Amino acid sequence: MPLFLRFALRELRSGVAGFRIFLACLALGVASIAAAGSTAEAFRHGLASQAREILGGDLRVAVEERRFTVPERNALEKLGEVAYAIGVRAMAQAPSGQRRMVELRGVSDAYPLAGTVKLAGAADLHHVFENQNGAWGAAVEEPLLQRLGLKVGDIFVIGQTPFVVRAVLQSEPDRLSRGFALGPRVLTSITAVEHGGFLDPTLPPPGEVARISLDPGVRTEAAIKTLRRQFPTSQFDIRERNEAAPGAKELIAQLEYFLSFIGLASLVAGGLGVAGAVSAYLDQRKESIAVMKALGADGAMVRSIYLAQIAALAGLGIAIGLVLGAVAPLILGEIAGKSLPIPALFAVYPWPLAKAALSGLLAAAGFSLAPLARARTTPPSALFRQDLTGKIRFGPEIVGALAAALGLALLATFTAPTPRSAAIMIVGVAVSFLLLWGLGRGAAILAGKARRFARGSVRIGLANLAGPHSAARTAAPAIGLGVALLAAVVLIQSSLLAQVSQVAPKSAPAVVFTDIPGDRLAEFDQTVTQAFGRPLTTENYMRAPYVRGRIIRIKGQPIIEKAIRQSERWAYDNDIGMSLIGDEPPGANVQDGRWWRADYAGPPLVAMEKDAAEGAGLKVGDVITLSMLGVEFDARIAVLRKVDWGGFGPAFTVILSPNALAGAPLSHVAIAKGTAAQEAAVTRALGDAFPGVNIISVREQLEAAAGLFDRLSLAIRGAAAVAGLAGLLVLAGAIAAGARARAKEAATLKVLGAERRQILAAYAVEYGAVGLIAGVAGAVLGYAAAWPVVVKVFQAEWSVDWTGVATVIMGAAVLAAGGGLLAALHALARRPAPVLRAE
Amino acid sequence: MYDVPTESTPLKLEAVTLTLPSAAGPVEILRGVDLVVRPGETVAIVGPSGSGKSSLIAVAAGLETPTSGSVSLFGQDLAALDEDGRARLRRNRVSLVFQSFHLLPNMTAEENIAAPLEIAGIMNAFEVAEAWLKLVGLSARAKHYPHQLSGGEQQRVALARALAARPALLFADEPTGNLDAANAHTVADLMFKLVAKTGAALVLVTHDPDIAIRADRQVIMADGRIVEP
Repeated sequence: MPLFLRFALRELRSGVAGFRIFLACLALGVASIAAAGSTAEAFRHGLASQAREILGGDLRVAVEERRFTVPERNALEKLGEVAYAIGVRAMAQAPSGQRRMVELRGVSDAYPLAGTVKLAGAADLHHVFENQNGAWGAAVEEPLLQRLGLKVGDIFVIGQTPFVVRAVLQSEPDRLSRGFALGPRVLTSITAVEHGGFLDPTLPPPGEVARISLDPGVRTEAAIKTLRRQFPTSQFDIRERNEAAPGAKELIAQLEYFLSFIGLASLVAGGLGVAGAVSAYLDQRKESIAVMKALGADGAMVRSIYLAQIAALAGLGIAIGLVLGAVAPLILGEIAGKSLPIPALFAVYPWPLAKAALSGLLAAAGFSLAPLARARTTPPSALFRQDLTGKIRFGPEIVGALAAALGLALLATFTAPTPRSAAIMIVGVAVSFLLLWGLGRGAAILAGKARRFARGSVRIGLANLAGPHSAARTAAPAIGLGVALLAAVVLIQSSLLAQVSQVAPKSAPAVVFTDIPGDRLAEFDQTVTQAFGRPLTTENYMRAPYVRGRIIRIKGQPIIEKAIRQSERWAYDNDIGMSLIGDEPPGANVQDGRWWRADYAGPPLVAMEKDAAEGAGLKVGDVITLSMLGVEFDARIAVLRKVDWGGFGPAFTVILSPNALAGAPLSHVAIAKGTAAQEAAVTRALGDAFPGVNIISVREQLEAAAGLFDRLSLAIRGAAAVAGLAGLLVLAGAIAAGARARAKEAATLKVLGAERRQILAAYAVEYGAVGLIAGVAGAVLGYAAAWPVVVKVFQAEWSVDWTGVATVIMGAAVLAAGGGLLAALHALARRPAPVLRAE
Repeated sequence: MYDVPTESTPLKLEAVTLTLPSAAGPVEILRGVDLVVRPGETVAIVGPSGSGKSSLIAVAAGLETPTSGSVSLFGQDLAALDEDGRARLRRNRVSLVFQSFHLLPNMTAEENIAAPLEIAGIMNAFEVAEAWLKLVGLSARAKHYPHQLSGGEQQRVALARALAARPALLFADEPTGNLDAANAHTVADLMFKLVAKTGAALVLVTHDPDIAIRADRQVIMADGRIVEP
C-alpha cells in the first residue's frame, strides 16, 4: 500500500467526528439530486411502461373539426383494430334545472383497446352505454353528480338528449394523453353523440380521434408512412407510443429541473460546510502536518495524505446521499403511489444516482481542494510559532478546484432537461453565492468597526462576528442561499396564488358563453339581463361574433413556418378564434394604427395581436389572407393591439371589420362578470331558452387552480427548505469548528466575572446577526430571482407575500440565534479551570 | 538498522539574521549568528528566554528561512533548496526533538517511530521501530497512542523517532522542558547515550545547567547573538 494511504488510514482511525457536518452537507446535496433524478426517472419509466394504455393503442390519429372520411376509415382499419372517439362540450341539465358544462365523449365499441375504464356501479362498459327507453347510458364523473344532485340510475339531459347515469366514471386509461377538461367528463357511445344532435351542421364541428391496435407484423413507422403517403393532404395529427403524453413529459422535465435545482443549491450551500469542515480538520492537524514536514515529508506527500482522507470521507458522504436519494422516491411511491396523477415505476435507477454521485464528487473537490492547498504549504516552523499557517496560493489544488466547479456547472447544465434555463439558474446561484460571500466578509468588517460603539454583551457578540472564527464568513452565505431559494419559491407561489385567487377574479370574466345563436342575440342579452338583475354595461358584459379561421398567406406569400418566430407560430399553423367588431371595443388596447368606423364599408380591415403580427414580420398596412367559412379573402392590417388573454376584453388574435363577412350567420361568444348567485341564475335561465349555449365557469376554473396551488404549496416549500437545511448544517459546522475556542472564551469571560446571561446574550447577538444578515440578503436575492419569473415568464401581477418573506427572514434569524444559544450553553457547561488548564 | 554516510560539517551558520514581523513592527530575533558543529560533536545552547535559542534551531534545521546570512547542512546551502528540498535533506540526515514532543496524535508509539523511516522509504521501518522502542524501554507501550502515554514516555518515543533514522545531526529544543526532574534526567541520559551510540552530532537547547554541562561545548546566547561560543 502506498505510504500516503497508510498514513491516511492511520489518521482516519481516530474517527470522523470532525467530519459529521462534511458528511451531512455532502449527503444532503447528493440525496437531493439523486432523489430528484430518481423521481423523474420513475415517472418516465411509469409513462413508458403504460404508454400503450395512455395513448389508447399503438397509434393515435386525429383530425380537427371534421370526421374521418370513408377511405380514411378503411385505411385505418387495414392497420389493425380501431377505436374511434368524438369529444364535444355541451351543457348537462338535471331535472331540478341545475346545469353544468360537461366534456362529453363518445367512443366506439372497440374502446378501450388498451387498459381498462374504471367504473363504480357497473362492471361492463358497453352495457353501460345501452339505450333504454330513449335514454342513452353514460358513465359520469362524481363532480357532475354532486353539482347536479344526481345518482346512478337518474336521468338528465345533455343539450336536448336524455341520458341515464349508469355508472360513476373513475378513470380512463388514455386520459393523460388528452387535453385539459373544462368540465366533468361524461363517457358514452359514439352512436349517442352522433344521434344526440351534437354534430349539427350549424355547430362548430368537433374533431375525431382514432386509436389503433396494430395487427401483428405491422410496424408503427411503416403504418405512419403509409397513412402520410395515402393521405398527404388530410392533416392527420399522428402520435405513437413514445409521444403518448407530451404534456406529462414536459411536466416531469420541469419537476426534475426544479428539484435538481434545489439539490444543486443545497450542494453549493452545503459546499461551504464541506470547505469549513475540511479547513477546521486541517487546522486541527496543523501540528501533525508540521511534524511530518519536520520528519522529511514533502508538500506533495502531505497533500496526498489528506486528499486520500477527504476522498474517502467524500465517498462515504456520497454513498450515504445515494442511499437516501434512492430510498426517498421508493418511500414516496409507497405513500403516495396510488394518488399520483402520472403513472410511476419507483425503482433504483443507476443514471440519476451516477449523476448525483458525480455532482457530489465535483462539489467535494471544488470546496475541499483550496483548504488542502493551505495544508500543503503549512510551514514546519509552525511547530515553533502557533500563528503560522499555510497560504492558499495558485497551484494544482486551485486549478483542481476551479476545474471541479466548472465540471459541476457543465454537468448540471448538460444533463438538465432544458440546458439554457439550467445555465441561467447556475449563473444565478454562482452570482448569489459570490454576493453573499462578499456580504458575509463585509458584515464581519462592519461588525469590527461597529463594536466600538457598543457595550457589554453586544460588544462581545460584534467582536466575535468580526473575529477570525466569525460565522458571518461561512454560515451567512450558506444560510443566505437557502433563504434566497425559499424566498423565491414563496414569492413566486404567493404571486401566482394571488393571481388566481385575487387578481384574476377581479379582472377576468366570471363566466364565458359560447355558441350563442346569431339570430337571437337581443333575446339572449335580455335573458342575461334578467338573470343578473341589473343592466348590462361594457364594464360587466361583452358579446361579439365568433368564427374560426386560418391565416393562409402573409403579404401574398404562403406561410413559411421557419420564417415565423417560434413563440408565435401557434397563430399561423392552426385555425384560431376570430371576431368581427364595429366600433373600437373597451379594452382594445391599440398599440399602432387606428380603429375603423362602425359603418366602414371598404376592403376588409383587421386588428391583429401585436406579438403574433411582429413574430411574422407584419406591421400596419400589410395584407394577410384569411380562410374562413369556406372562403378566402385579403385583409389589410389597420391596428396592432395588445391582448390581455386573462382579462375582461376582446381576447381574439384577429378582429375583422364587420363588412368582411357581412350577412354570414355567425354565432357569438360573450363574457360577463357577476357573483356566484348571478352565475347560477343565468345558467338556470339559459337552460330553458338557450339549451345549446355553453356556459364555462371561469370562477370554478380559478377556484380549482387556487385549490391545486394550495395543495402543492406545502410540498414545494418543503422541497425548497432542503436548501435552507443545508444552510443550517453549515451554521452547525461553523459552531462546531469554533467550539473549543468558544469554551475557552466562555471560561475566560467567567473568570473575568461575566454572568451566564451575558455570555448567552453575546452569542445570541452574534449568531442572530448572522441569521438576520443572511435572511435579509437571501430575501433580496429571492425577490430578484422571483420577479422575472412571475412577471416575464408567467406574465402575472407581482404581489409580495410580506408575511411569508418576513417569516423566512425571522426564521433564519431565530434558528441562527438558537444555534448560537446552544453553542453558548455547550461552552458554559464546561467548568473554566480544566478548559483553561488544557490550553 | 542501516548505515548513514558521515559528512565533514553537519552544520554551518554564517552571519545569520532573522527578523519577523509583528503587530508592533519587525522584531529582530537573530542578529548575526555564526556557528559550526562538527561530526559527532554535542553542543548545548543556553541563554535566557527570548534570546533566540529556539529560533536558531528552527533556522538551522531549515524549518525557518533566515532573513540574511547562510545556513548549510552537510555542505548543502539551504538557500539553494525549496521547502520540499529541505524536507528531503532532513529526511536523510537531520532529526528534531521538541519540548512539546509533537508526536503524531493518531499514530501509536510504534507508528510514530516508524513514520520518518517510512517517509525515507526504509522497507523494514517497523522492525527498526521495535528495536528503538526496546532501546528507550517502551516495548510494552508499542501500541499505545500519545495521549495514553506520560510526558516522559512521550519524550522517549520522540527521541526514538528522532534517532531511529540514524541522523547525522539531531536538534533538540528543550527536550526536558516539560518534564519533572526525574524524567528530565532519564531522557537526557538516554539522549546522550544514544547520540554517542549512533555517532550523531547534537545541538541541544536547554535551560538546565546540569544537562548543558554534559555537552562537548556550551554556546551562550543573549539578545539574538552568541555571546560566548
